[in-house]
Amino acid sequence: MATLEQARTGRDDQTRVVDLVFPGDVPPAPFSRADLVVTGVDHSSTSYEVRVFLNDPDATASTPRTAEQRYAGRYTVFGHGGCYGGDGHCDAPAPGEDLRLAPPLTSFDTYVTITGALQRLLAAGDALQTITLVPVSLTPRRADRRPAPELLHFDDVTLQTYLTATDADQIPT
Amino acid sequence: MGLRKNAENLTPAELTDLREAFQAFYEIDDDRGHGFFAGIHGLPLPVYCEHGTALFLPWHRAYLYHVERALTAALRRARGDDTVEVALPWWDWSSAVSHDRGLPTAFRPTADGSTNPLSAGPVVLGSDDLELVRENLPGAISEGPDPVTVRDPEEPDELPRDPTVQRALRATTFTDFSRILESIHNGVHGWVGGAMSAAPTAAFDPVFWAHHSMIDRLWYLWQLSPRNGDPPARVLDRALPPFPTTVRETLDISSLGYEYAAQVIG
Repeated sequence: MATLEQARTGRDDQTRVVDLVFPGDVPPAPFSRADLVVTGVDHSSTSYEVRVFLNDPDATASTPRTAEQRYAGRYTVFGHGGCYGGDGHCDAPAPGEDLRLAPPLTSFDTYVTITGALQRLLAAGDALQTITLVPVSLTPRRADRRPAPELLHFDDVTLQTYLTATDADQIPT
Repeated sequence: MGLRKNAENLTPAELTDLREAFQAFYEIDDDRGHGFFAGIHGLPLPVYCEHGTALFLPWHRAYLYHVERALTAALRRARGDDTVEVALPWWDWSSAVSHDRGLPTAFRPTADGSTNPLSAGPVVLGSDDLELVRENLPGAISEGPDPVTVRDPEEPDELPRDPTVQRALRATTFTDFSRILESIHNGVHGWVGGAMSAAPTAAFDPVFWAHHSMIDRLWYLWQLSPRNGDPPARVLDRALPPFPTTVRETLDISSLGYEYAAQVIG
């Protein structure tokens, strides 16, 4: 598991690079599906997408989303576009559960299936060393879209492998 | 109730009904009209839409159910005809035609410049909210005192592809399916751009309904598959405010009175 705080900044301070070594010290179990699970995803501001590259700490928003560039997939966040209430309206909710509705800005968990990209890496005799997260804003106007590290907030990232996959899991999103 | 069809396959009469229904919907300024229903999703506060939770698919199914009925009621009132019905078409953004042309023809501005109620929707908000939208989401709505939704779509081939949809349909749990489909859904909101790119304004754009009809149809198709599973038991009897509808009541679309057409001949 790697937290956002543990991530280092990538090229031009536009990306975040997470150290995730696989296989590590423990021999890898056979797998046919691999997910990059991201918890605590923030969706309070502008919409954005996060492109995932393996072993390319220099990847940026202009890096082609191709297998040759070790592009592994992306997740997209539908944002709330800022706060529209008074002071404190959108403060992070206190933990705990009761009968009230969860506040709309409660963070969520998501994942990117990276099976194909990871298997290509391993088949080439390499090990996974880093995950580069490239956040790009999805503003209303296309001309305003740009690298947006300020939008990238999450709790942690883990790599989870399974033996329950189908061929469809190898399709990048 | 209605037979929801592919937006590219509407007959001229069905398209006329849909456009007139939206126009009538826009002209109602109370809690039967477009401003009220579009505002349920985002602005004005409170925000009711469910994203990133197990309620994403059930909540939006309930939302479409109520809007579809409100559209039919608006058209019936406008025409003085209690027999007419409209159904929300779906936009198959994974299809070859969408990857060639982008937005469905019915929802684009008309070639002859005539008014098309499906190409933009009025954004009925108070002045404070309008100011915040223009500040936080520049390019989402037009300028002036009576703004309408704006779009700025990406290249058609950037829309989700069929293999991506198929991967969602092969999910083996509801949670897995919902998460994959919601991420695809998020990407289409961003692809359309403009008002559709953010939760506070998205539902004011009429293409929102065609997009969510597609999402709802994919849930229906997954429900037909052997992999179908219910949402987590803990949410089945949860209400989906502001609608008086529980998650359990959304699980069977036949009980909600609509169907998705695979093909309609003649």
